[in-house]
Amino acid sequence: MAELDGNKLTFKLVYYGPAQSGKTTNLMRLHDLLQPELKGEIMTMETQNDRTLFFDLLPLGFRAPSGLLVKFRLFTVPGQVAHDGTRKAVLSRADGVVFVADSQRTQEINNGESFQNLADNAARVGIDFQTLPLVVQFNKRDLADILGEEEIRARWRRTAWPLTFACALDGRGVRQTFEALLRQLYRHVAEPLRLAAQHGIGEDAFVDGALGVGLPT
Amino acid sequence: MNDACRETALAELLPDRLLGNIGRALQQLLGPDAALLDAGGTALWGEAPPPEAARSALVLEIEPVAYVAATAPAKVAAAATLLAEILQARNRYVMVSELHIEAIAADFARLKAEHLALQESEARYKALSAELEQRVKEQVATLDERQRQLYQAEKLASVGQLAAGIAHEINNPIGFVRSNLQSFAGYLDRFEQLRARLDRAQDAWAEFDLDFVLADGRELLADSVAGADRIARIVKDLRGFSNIDRPQEEMVDLNVNLRDACAVVAGQKPEGVRLTLDLKPLPPLLCLPGLLNQVFLNVLINALQAVGEHGEIRVASASAGGRIDISIADDGPGMAADVLARVFEPFFTTREVGQGTGLGLTVARDVVQAHDGSIVLESQPGRGTTVRISLPT
Repeated sequence: MAELDGNKLTFKLVYYGPAQSGKTTNLMRLHDLLQPELKGEIMTMETQNDRTLFFDLLPLGFRAPSGLLVKFRLFTVPGQVAHDGTRKAVLSRADGVVFVADSQRTQEINNGESFQNLADNAARVGIDFQTLPLVVQFNKRDLADILGEEEIRARWRRTAWPLTFACALDGRGVRQTFEALLRQLYRHVAEPLRLAAQHGIGEDAFVDGALGVGLPT
Repeated sequence: MNDACRETALAELLPDRLLGNIGRALQQLLGPDAALLDAGGTALWGEAPPPEAARSALVLEIEPVAYVAATAPAKVAAAATLLAEILQARNRYVMVSELHIEAIAADFARLKAEHLALQESEARYKALSAELEQRVKEQVATLDERQRQLYQAEKLASVGQLAAGIAHEINNPIGFVRSNLQSFAGYLDRFEQLRARLDRAQDAWAEFDLDFVLADGRELLADSVAGADRIARIVKDLRGFSNIDRPQEEMVDLNVNLRDACAVVAGQKPEGVRLTLDLKPLPPLLCLPGLLNQVFLNVLINALQAVGEHGEIRVASASAGGRIDISIADDGPGMAADVLARVFEPFFTTREVGQGTGLGLTVARDVVQAHDGSIVLESQPGRGTTVRISLPT
């Protein structure tokens, strides 16, 4: 869980998922779409043929009426199976996760294995997977041979995680996915961090602050 | 667990050496009053700037982490841009290297765990394999033991058959011995009657046909002696073949047993085979003679089969140093080392199927060992074979 460091509260949010499912693209679109009070450049840590080797980092933030700086550090993990050590290290101490699945029918097994890998690595780094704020995004809705929304909803019906559908290439659903994660995150941390009581940050203010709506930029 | 993705502190981004180099360069670019301040405004390099000095923030991620200050406002912003780039490059480097170290450590830990698991699994398989080998050995030993027991049981059964045959044989001589003895009792009655008439002796002699009685009596006795001899011989043969009537240990002169065994094979040997005995006086030995007879017989039969139609078998005995040493040597073709190494193995035989059980020497070794003795074979191809049996007295 994020901890207060002086007058700053930092959340680590991780975009997880199989190789080439669009995690980095999600971050790039968020960088374009969001207008929070504070927005840094995407820091890309080395790539190999456009594949993430270490991680990407997008820093965002806003200042609460109490003067508290709320900072979000959005990471992507390398999706390739071989980089599991890196993936585990990036996942460590995550406050929330977006699982970016590839909607194509051919990627079902990769999605399943990657989700299992997320659960395994969460256990390894001491994250309670049952309570971890998590949103599942089915990306690449623009492609042809993809699983239908109904089919996906039917399959995930028994799980508690919010489902979103996106096309990160043109930005559709990217912001909604992030918003869903922010709401999950807020409900998870607001009480212990006394966000409303002490800092006057309600759920909408929290979300709007991160997305850049309703607050002066 | 370390957090490789934590925010990097300014001190890590600007270690002293780098701070010095940058600071000196800054002062050359912006003038001697240039300073580098941390986020709180404290000077990291240079003097604390006057209030009118221009400041430009160095933003890392989303927050200013340091400031460049100097009185030359035109150049401060450019210097800050330059410095911010340097800081970002440093930040990248620090984060990636920490992440790299952590990922390597995680991979290494996983490899170590896998290696350990593999080692454990290998050890388990090794143990299993050793256990399996041991169990196979035990099973083979059990099977061999059973086979030998079966062989012994069959041998005993054949001894029983022999005994039955011998009993049948004995019935015949016993029958006429008994009949003869009854006849002779009848003759004795006549002698009794004769006594009453001794005064008319000559008449009576003729009347009782005593000439016939004398003649037939001698014949009957000779017959009976012959019958008794036959019985005695049959029984002796039986005793010689097996120890079934002598299960107890006995003090014997082994030379007698050797001669007996030789006598048995003498009847089977071809004309061209010479059997020579060189027997030195032996102390009496407490042993199971029937079993030792079997040993000598087995070894002699082997020698006989080895020499074939022509050859020599030398049987020798001697006593020295509290032991009795017996050797049975043939000048047959001998054995190669690989065959020699296996001669005592149960069911190992070089003979045609049905010609040998492969148990002769196995039984011989068991018997000799039961007497605390030793049996060794010396043989080379073309040099014949010598079996040496040594028994403690």
